[in-house]
Amino acid sequence: MLHCRVEGSAVSTIRHPSLNGWRLVLCQPIDAEGADEGDPLLAVDNLGAGLHERVIVTTDGKSIRQRMGHDRSPVRFMIIGILDPVDSSQKNLQPA
Amino acid sequence: MRFGQVIGRVTLSPYDPSYRGGRFLVVLPWLPPEGENPVAASSPLPAGNSMVVYDDLGAGVGDIIGYSESGEAAAAFADPTPVDAYNCAILDTCLYRPLRSNCVPAGQAIT
Repeated sequence: MLHCRVEGSAVSTIRHPSLNGWRLVLCQPIDAEGADEGDPLLAVDNLGAGLHERVIVTTDGKSIRQRMGHDRSPVRFMIIGILDPVDSSQKNLQPA
Repeated sequence: MRFGQVIGRVTLSPYDPSYRGGRFLVVLPWLPPEGENPVAASSPLPAGNSMVVYDDLGAGVGDIIGYSESGEAAAAFADPTPVDAYNCAILDTCLYRPLRSNCVPAGQAIT
């Protein structure tokens, strides 16, 4: 799974039928500190991830097809979780 | 899916029977400009290796598409098909507001 930050969205009218009803969200893969890591990608989302929120994106096609309810959907990235925002007080928590 | 800009098409004469009806596009990786605007082909052409993408949505040269790769691309076919990249969507507009620094404010609704 990928750790990404939401940095936008895209609109498409001509698309694969399995995408109907799903938002296309632009995600930028990031590392633990939040620095960009690689090119932005488009993920489908129905959790309502907001701009600049950190999300978890899965690339497992089988589970994506199950969740979309379409056994031949070509989607590869799907947002499956939204991380809680990190405030500065949590930043320097040392493991016990 | 990945962003791609269509720069050409490939025509096969002998082809695998499971390709029936599909077209092949030559696609370069495309990066969205900042802000919210209709997608437009970038000239000069974006850098990067071109890919051949299977398409049955009818994308033309200059279109910006979202294509998926590897196993998920082949999943779009009933019978097993040797396809590496599949055109999932022809994009109309794209909102891109990168957060350059690594501080993480709370989420805001996407306008």
